[in-house]
Amino acid sequence: MSTAVASPATLSGRTGHVVAAIREHAAAIDEAASFPIDSLQALRNSGLMGLLVPARYGGLGGDLHDLVAVAVELAGACLSTAMIWAMHCQQVAGIVAFGSPTLRERVLRQVAHGEVYIASVTTERGKGGHLLTADQAMDNFHVRRDAPIVTGGEYADGFLITMRDLPEAPPNAVSLVYAPRSALALQSNGSWNPMGMRGTHSVGLVLEGDIEPDAIVGPPGDFKTVAVTTFAPVGHIAWAACWLGAARGALRDVLRLLRSPADRGSLAPDSELLRHRVARVRMELDVMAALLARCLTDAADTERIEDIPVQLRLNALKVYVAEHSLQVVDTLIEVVGLRHGYLRDSPLRLERVFRDLRSASLNYANDRLLAANGGLALLDQGVNLAL
Amino acid sequence: MNDIFVAVLRRRLIYLAPDAPLDPDAALRSLGLDSMQAVDLVFDLEDELGVVLPDEAMNAATFATARNLWSAVSDAGASAGVRP
Repeated sequence: MSTAVASPATLSGRTGHVVAAIREHAAAIDEAASFPIDSLQALRNSGLMGLLVPARYGGLGGDLHDLVAVAVELAGACLSTAMIWAMHCQQVAGIVAFGSPTLRERVLRQVAHGEVYIASVTTERGKGGHLLTADQAMDNFHVRRDAPIVTGGEYADGFLITMRDLPEAPPNAVSLVYAPRSALALQSNGSWNPMGMRGTHSVGLVLEGDIEPDAIVGPPGDFKTVAVTTFAPVGHIAWAACWLGAARGALRDVLRLLRSPADRGSLAPDSELLRHRVARVRMELDVMAALLARCLTDAADTERIEDIPVQLRLNALKVYVAEHSLQVVDTLIEVVGLRHGYLRDSPLRLERVFRDLRSASLNYANDRLLAANGGLALLDQGVNLAL
Repeated sequence: MNDIFVAVLRRRLIYLAPDAPLDPDAALRSLGLDSMQAVDLVFDLEDELGVVLPDEAMNAATFATARNLWSAVSDAGASAGVRP
């Protein structure tokens, strides 16, 4: 069963243990574009798969602050593994908040023991990641779902799937359902050879099977409530923590190089240009961290989570961090130059982080969130900021 | 405080007259060391004394006085097995 009991008791102890393990595999899974099975096993053994599972189900009972603290560290070692874990935590948060008592009892204990890794099935052909509509419908608890992109889909032990509630229901009557791998016939129909995030092994998947009546997560046909109050805030916070963590890890590595007596001579750490660039990088990281901290406060205030200024910030967090984490790494490549910054076998591995972070704006597209925020911003004539 | 340490430090202390003695407990800030120069001072000390100052030493207290800074340099030298 679980080896979680053997893990260090503190969150930072558990995290440090896992970071060391996943750092070891990061280059190989990137090279092969293969799923980080060994890294996920380290996470399963650490208890961190159940970070957000309440203690009464055997989990660590962590909150979103804990999620951010862990995600930032994991992402500094391997962004693919961090995102796999963070998206699993997002699914778990949905079940914790909206699962039926029997579903929670059944699934959350397995999650806490590291036995169940949950993948998200929200994309459909044509609509991309648009969360709140679905063409494919459930019929009498039978699910058949063709999803173009499922991160870690070939390796997940369970799936949270968006489906149109009934064949006659409108496209916006979306239900979220949980299905264990054992209940589904799976057909993987795609290869995975992307620019970055190569370890996430996000393949096309056709899933078919029957779900239990208690496996609808949240009110039937009302996935919107789950999305607005839990899925979107947790998702944006978790992704932002991962991207920020990757950029912070890059600065850490670069600072180690710039500070090293053996290497700094060739990098002119006393030049004004370098100082300005390093200053801007650090400034961006502080700005992103401040926005993330503010969004953690927003997410904890469930009464006001649907308020327009709050929705604007939660969307802005995703867009801003996606853009600026990439920009930070781009600047760092300028700072250290071709040999340390651009070569694939440079120990800094900035080129991998750069490729990985290029996906951030596309992962639930910034363009779509900006269109949504443009509409919301026009509604908020008072321009209510978090001041 | 050895001679190299004192010489490297004095280069950053623009308000300390060349012939005035360096009081180990005087505030380095009042002698002309500002926080912007701290990293340059670290680089110079590391290069000329052959030590590497650890992250834990990078705080205001280390740069407050010559005595504190020498203490950090000595500790770094001792842990690296060299005598600064």
